[in-house]
Amino acid sequence: MSSNMREGMVYVTTADERIVHWLLAGSCLFALFTGLGLMFHSFTFIPAMLGGHYAMKWMHIFSGVVFSFSLLAASIFWWKHVKFVPDDVKWVQQAGGYLWEAHNLPPAGMYNAGQKMFFWAVFIFGILIIATGIVMFDPTLFPVVVSRFAYMLHALAVVVIASFFVIHLYLGTFGNPGTVQIMFHGYATREYCEAHKGKWLAEKEGKGGEEA
Amino acid sequence: MAEFVKLIDVSKCTGCRGCQVACKNWNELPAEKTSFLGSRSLQNPPELSYNTWTLIRFDEVNSEDGKLKWVMRHDACLHCETPACAKACPSPGALVKTAEGAVVHDPKYCIGCKACISACPFNIPRNSAAEEKMAKCSLCYDRITNGKKPACVTACPTGCLDFGYKDDMIAKAHKKAEASKGAIYPDNHSYGTNVLYVMPAGVKLTDLQNVNPKPGMPTTILWWKNLFKPFTLIGMGAVAGFAALHYFIKGPHLVEKKKEGGE
Repeated sequence: MSSNMREGMVYVTTADERIVHWLLAGSCLFALFTGLGLMFHSFTFIPAMLGGHYAMKWMHIFSGVVFSFSLLAASIFWWKHVKFVPDDVKWVQQAGGYLWEAHNLPPAGMYNAGQKMFFWAVFIFGILIIATGIVMFDPTLFPVVVSRFAYMLHALAVVVIASFFVIHLYLGTFGNPGTVQIMFHGYATREYCEAHKGKWLAEKEGKGGEEA
Repeated sequence: MAEFVKLIDVSKCTGCRGCQVACKNWNELPAEKTSFLGSRSLQNPPELSYNTWTLIRFDEVNSEDGKLKWVMRHDACLHCETPACAKACPSPGALVKTAEGAVVHDPKYCIGCKACISACPFNIPRNSAAEEKMAKCSLCYDRITNGKKPACVTACPTGCLDFGYKDDMIAKAHKKAEASKGAIYPDNHSYGTNVLYVMPAGVKLTDLQNVNPKPGMPTTILWWKNLFKPFTLIGMGAVAGFAALHYFIKGPHLVEKKKEGGE
């Protein structure tokens, strides 16, 4: 990646990570948008924009398929970064320094405890929403108890993922200037990486390699 | 518009299936290939379907007096007062509870998602994979709004099927049940239907096909529609409000510029 090196910048994500991130985000948001249009009859602007409820049904199903494969790919990419370590307890105890002044926050790896929690929320409730979505694709193939629970749990998973998504959106943009570019061109400033990904940066540079 | 009830006096059914034929005739539903069901040999076709909206179900049961009893039950949509199917339906207009009491499906708006099928407490709606639509009994909405009785009721030769104003039919149901010592089904004061049965005396509901002894709005639908649905917006809104407050009070999390010869 030496040709991509920029002065004072650190290459944090690879292109395939960024593509998978946006496939996951895009399919998730489109599924949320079409899903809200199907769940709230009062949101008439959504079916009006997308060509009616029948079209929305298939858009929702296909965005769910894209979401499933991108969640799988994202999990493979980020699995090694999202395991909890003892230092994460200190991060959680001080809410990462976001709510009050934190003292001696241990340096995070690639992701801090909050980001790991976001991953696990999307992973666990993502699997739930995919599994229940498969049942809802044809509920007549399952016992009625199973299909009724599927509809309910699908809606529960939306509550969790949609709420976590708003936190993710805020902390990735307005809350932490310098973050969002990591998912656009992959680079963050050295200062940013020292503050947010200290352990990861030290390990990366300790190894002498440019790639994580 | 007056509200109607269809009353079914099960003990009067002889299994002639005139109602099945009349239903197919009026609603222009094609016949379908059928199969022999052995001990349930009077039941034909074997199940409700996209093209069979009413079916005489045939059960041989042991009556409370120890005798074998034949039960022939006219099975079709019960037209719930607060229909679970319509509550689960994502497409406005596809399933509508009308003032007359009928729960009417409109193929024009149905998107074939099958949510109504698992929502129904009585296992009534059926779908067609080819058409991507659901279908069920509509209480002959096109007839009852024009001063006629549903096709099945008109065809019934024994008086098993009756149709009229809601209050009259409820009074009639209680009178019949009292006289015959049979049970009124469904029996749930908080989940009414515009179709009522008077069951034959001494027959247990649990011995019959496709009968729900405790009918009601499925609890999962209440959690889904009354709790998680609003909480999707409440959750997102609360978190967004919290994020905005955080930004106004604490401001963005800025990374300090590296000082000369820093630590």
